[in-house]
Amino acid sequence: MDRSAELERLRSLFLSAPESDATRTLMVIGSLVLIAIVLWLVRRRALREEHTPIWIAISVGLAIVSLVPGMLGTITRWIGAWTPASTLFFLGEVCLVALCLSFAIRHSRTSVEIRQLGQEVAVLRATLDELDLDRAD
Amino acid sequence: MSEAASGMGTANPNARGLVIMPARNEATRIGDVVDGVSRALPGARVLVIDDDSEDATVEVARAAGAAVAPLPIHLGYGGALQTGYHFAVRTSCAWLIQMDSDGQHRPEDLPALLAPVLEGRCDLAIGSRFVPREDEMPGYEMDAVRSLGRRSLALLGRLGGVRVTDPTSGLQAMNTAALELFTSSWYPVDYPDIDVLLLAHRRGLRLCEVPVTMRPSPRPSMLHSGWMPVYYAYRMLLSLWALSAIPRRESPEPGSDSQGG
Repeated sequence: MDRSAELERLRSLFLSAPESDATRTLMVIGSLVLIAIVLWLVRRRALREEHTPIWIAISVGLAIVSLVPGMLGTITRWIGAWTPASTLFFLGEVCLVALCLSFAIRHSRTSVEIRQLGQEVAVLRATLDELDLDRAD
Repeated sequence: MSEAASGMGTANPNARGLVIMPARNEATRIGDVVDGVSRALPGARVLVIDDDSEDATVEVARAAGAAVAPLPIHLGYGGALQTGYHFAVRTSCAWLIQMDSDGQHRPEDLPALLAPVLEGRCDLAIGSRFVPREDEMPGYEMDAVRSLGRRSLALLGRLGGVRVTDPTSGLQAMNTAALELFTSSWYPVDYPDIDVLLLAHRRGLRLCEVPVTMRPSPRPSMLHSGWMPVYYAYRMLLSLWALSAIPRRESPEPGSDSQGG
């Protein structure tokens, strides 16, 4: 009995399953809600414009994948997954890693800026100190 | 570099320089250290960089006559040192000495440490416990862990073309060329160590070592605590790898970069 041929047959069976309308609808709604939330946060000044591109890219990407028929199945075949659900999880994880990395980069930049500000404050206060010392001489 | 040497001769040369001391909770010791520096280098300005101490370090240092740069947030040793470099550049200092505020470094050693920098023989002078000296001072005792750490760092330095016997020495004197480099974004703020010396070498600064005597540090070395040595080694290797991204610059006088003291 050829196990690999059997597995391959099983996989094509999985892939040929009709796309679930419920999943598709949920994805479309999810991506639209995400875009709406991002735009609303920008309007409320709770999210600065410079932080939005990655979020917009993710929600638009999700919308495209959910709206184009057969796209999720094609991607599933490409990446060697068995079910569209695994593909969704995989893509979601890629997005999360990308977001985390972009946060880590921003965090590094912010801590450098905080350090420079702290040093600047200390230097300015030392300058005042020296002025006081000079006056005392 | 000649900036330091050309400034000599006018009034008190000590007044053109700065002695910096990063300090964190050193109220009990820093007064004596500042006093000692004022005696060893009369007229020299002393700047204590207070790394967000919780004790009276700031008041004690001011009372001893030092200017104080109080950091509003805890930055660690490297961040505090760099604050001193920034202050020196801002106030147009011709030279700078950095020393520890815990009494480990002796103010009496400062003139000898500064001499090669003032004479233009090197850009960065490192006070070393391990360069043999003529007089009869007792050698510095190191336990096995510290000794191993020192030897590994010295080996790393040699691989990068820097020959130093005391790579972890915080007692250093430098001129404006070194200050310019150390106030740039290339300065490894997290754990300045052998990577600073390699950075200096890579950017064409001339290093030399001057024999000094140090008292044992009153604090336990962080190399003794649990996983810290592993983490330290990891940070150091990462820092050295990052160093390789920095463009090289040749020394103006090639071949003059070791054993100047």
